[in-house]
Amino acid sequence: MIEIKINLNSKDYMEYLSKAAAVINGHKDYITKLDAETGDGDHWVNLNMGFEKLLEQKELLEVMSLSDMFKKIAVILMSTIGGSSGVLYGSAYLKVSQVIAGEDVITAALLKDILAAKLEGIMERGNAKPGFKTMIDPLYRAHEYMIEAFHNNSSDEEILLAMKEGAAYGMNETAQMKAIRGRACYRSDKGVGKLDPGAVTMYYQLAALVEYIMEHS
Amino acid sequence: MKKLINDPNRVVTEMLEGMAVTNPNIIYHKDFEVIARKNKPKKVGIVSGGGSGHEPAHGGYVGIGMLDAAVAGNVFASPSPDRIIKGIKEAHRGKGVLLVIKNYSGDIMNFEMAKELAEMEGVSVRSVIVKDDVAVPESTYSTGRRGIAGTIFVHKIAGAKAEEGGTLEEVLTVAQKAADNVRSMGMAMSSCILPGVGKPGFVLGENEIEIGMGIHGEPGIEKTNVKTAKEIVNILCNKILSDMDYINSEVALIINGLGATPAMELYIIAKEVDDFLKAKNVTPYKYFVGNFMTSLEMAGCSISLLKLDAELKRLLDAPCNTIGLKVGD
Repeated sequence: MIEIKINLNSKDYMEYLSKAAAVINGHKDYITKLDAETGDGDHWVNLNMGFEKLLEQKELLEVMSLSDMFKKIAVILMSTIGGSSGVLYGSAYLKVSQVIAGEDVITAALLKDILAAKLEGIMERGNAKPGFKTMIDPLYRAHEYMIEAFHNNSSDEEILLAMKEGAAYGMNETAQMKAIRGRACYRSDKGVGKLDPGAVTMYYQLAALVEYIMEHS
Repeated sequence: MKKLINDPNRVVTEMLEGMAVTNPNIIYHKDFEVIARKNKPKKVGIVSGGGSGHEPAHGGYVGIGMLDAAVAGNVFASPSPDRIIKGIKEAHRGKGVLLVIKNYSGDIMNFEMAKELAEMEGVSVRSVIVKDDVAVPESTYSTGRRGIAGTIFVHKIAGAKAEEGGTLEEVLTVAQKAADNVRSMGMAMSSCILPGVGKPGFVLGENEIEIGMGIHGEPGIEKTNVKTAKEIVNILCNKILSDMDYINSEVALIINGLGATPAMELYIIAKEVDDFLKAKNVTPYKYFVGNFMTSLEMAGCSISLLKLDAELKRLLDAPCNTIGLKVGD
């Protein structure tokens, strides 16, 4: 059996983003329907446009240093996605570019820090916390489960599985939450009973990262 | 979907091009969806913006006595920070820039990020957040009250103060005073269709109206049966007056159409508002009746009241010349 190691450079990260983009692209109807039920139905269109733009710039991005690449990703997502999601994804990747300065490869420990940086960027910009029924929830749980795995001296494979399990848990728990941010918070039912579409697309990205690393180790 | 458009993906660009060709005093910066004043005197710059679909807001308020630049997002979506920075730079003439932001989480995040980035480049930027819609309870926990048609008063007051040479802090102070003293509430009789979506996000029945609906079709306080203009005015004005003490004050009013309401109906509403306020010892000083902050083709109206003092009155009466609002000498 081959041991799974977390070890990603810029080119690997762009390969992962291609995978994430394909997953997002394949869920148009599901995400749009979810968003139309609680928001204004444009989340998939905008996010998909952002990821398509990233792929157009793939050749340029994959030869950059990790830090420069993350900064460029931030700018592209911010201006292409627009609205609330654009600025939140932009803030997340800007924070990552700071955390990762000087590094050439993403290891397990660095991946944990990257998730923490994304969380910090989104929570600061959105003035939001876990439990607000947003994209934060799967990211928060993924990070939390990873920390737990680190405490248990887990292997990289176990760390990745914990990350994916946490992401799924965080996504699913948004169904029972009352929306405190975003358009769903103006609804009298606060979107209770429905998954948050932003949390679902965040889950896709986290799960795709885990799957990409598993497949390419 | 029946709309007078060419391509659903180009509505924002083509609308802004239309504003620019019909108003010789403004220029359109295409890649940033920014409308800016052509002749910019050395003064504090006033910038606003937000999602499109609320025309004439905000490109229609660029001109003498109001905004120096307006930044448009896609329909009902906030513009991104790079566009807003372009607006800030267009408006900046060495005396700083005031941002007038409607209170939606997307607008707040994008404008604040743009503000931070512009300040890193050495531009002094301040901001005022408008949250005039009394239909939504104020809350420090959630995003809180929405910014709607009362925002036009903040544009007017801030623009007049900047035009007469006020400093950035002076303009901020009076803009904040206007924002603190304006309250609004609206109602809708029909939904609206986003050009990119093609069908309405919600449907109101033949005899159904919604009290307190937001300008993106966000739900209001309650769905109810069609009522007379008098009854509607009673509901909206009572809610506004219960939120702020206007008794024995002079007020300026915006009787705003949401896009598909005939002027006839807006003037019927205006007369009812006038009767209602006078009976409550509130004195109407000045009326603006028309489509100022719309919601695509939604039918319905909103009523905004600005409580006046001598300074606000003077600034309200100062001249302005824009597509959406003209006040003479």
